[in-house]
Amino acid sequence: MTADEFIAVRQYTESEKYAIFDRELMPHIQSMYNFAFRLTQDEDDANDLVQDTYLKAFRFINSFEKGTNAKAWLFRILKNSFINDYRRKSKEPNKVDYQEVETYYDSEEMAGTSQTTDLRAETVQELLGDEVTNALNALPIDFRTVLILCDVEGFTYEEMAKILDIPIGTVRSRLHRARMLLKEKLKTYATHMGYDTSERSEDEESL
Amino acid sequence: MTPESSSSAEAEKVVKKEHCENHANCMKLIQMALDGEASPEELEHVRQNLGNCLPCNRGYNLEKAIKQALQLRVEQKAVPQSLVDCIKSKIHEL
Ligand SMILES: [Zn+2]
Repeated sequence: MTADEFIAVRQYTESEKYAIFDRELMPHIQSMYNFAFRLTQDEDDANDLVQDTYLKAFRFINSFEKGTNAKAWLFRILKNSFINDYRRKSKEPNKVDYQEVETYYDSEEMAGTSQTTDLRAETVQELLGDEVTNALNALPIDFRTVLILCDVEGFTYEEMAKILDIPIGTVRSRLHRARMLLKEKLKTYATHMGYDTSERSEDEESL
Repeated sequence: MTPESSSSAEAEKVVKKEHCENHANCMKLIQMALDGEASPEELEHVRQNLGNCLPCNRGYNLEKAIKQALQLRVEQKAVPQSLVDCIKSKIHEL
């Protein structure tokens, strides 16, 4: 937990605490559960993580300024709980050191080859939800996280920077690399699933 | 697609360039534009590239398709009512 995470900014009364919890925090539980499930890939772990996060949020509710961005505040607590309590014991298949991956994809050579992927927009549109989900789940956790926050949950770069405790420039470059990786995964899926990934004209299309 | 947009697309095809000198950078700007994070100047730059560059056009369509797939087709898990109830009761026990 970063030091400034739970510094009290207010002194709410007991009834105010419950009111804020019900009106501002609980409405985000569906998004929170989805985020937790995407991170842990396990229903029981997602349950525990969401519960821990909400209990922590209630305990430190004085550090939340009423009427501000509750969703980003909750996501940040959940992300930190995940890193501190779950990540070590999780069944995460991609135990790749993030720094290592980032350095690898930082190389110009890698950037060059990924840019020229011949994946087509039409192919992506044909992919099923399951295939898109599997491709996303196959990414190392830090890359998966930025895509969930940006594209699935619709957070701004600034909100993501706060949730992840990283500078906006890092949000941008991590998103960019995440998308390169996702394109490669989608391309692999599309090829395996027998989607035609090469150029073709309309009249060649048949059932 | 409207009739005029498809016919103008046909007309543009002839003049659009096949190779993008600065594609890696273009793709960064295109993603920022799709994320709603580009400045007005950057948006204008992207708009111009889309008008005259085929690789940028394809890149834009692909990024947009991927973003939409993530927004709309990633499986959503319904939060169990038991979890909601459990959190509420634990809060009131405190
Ligand atoms: Zn271009």
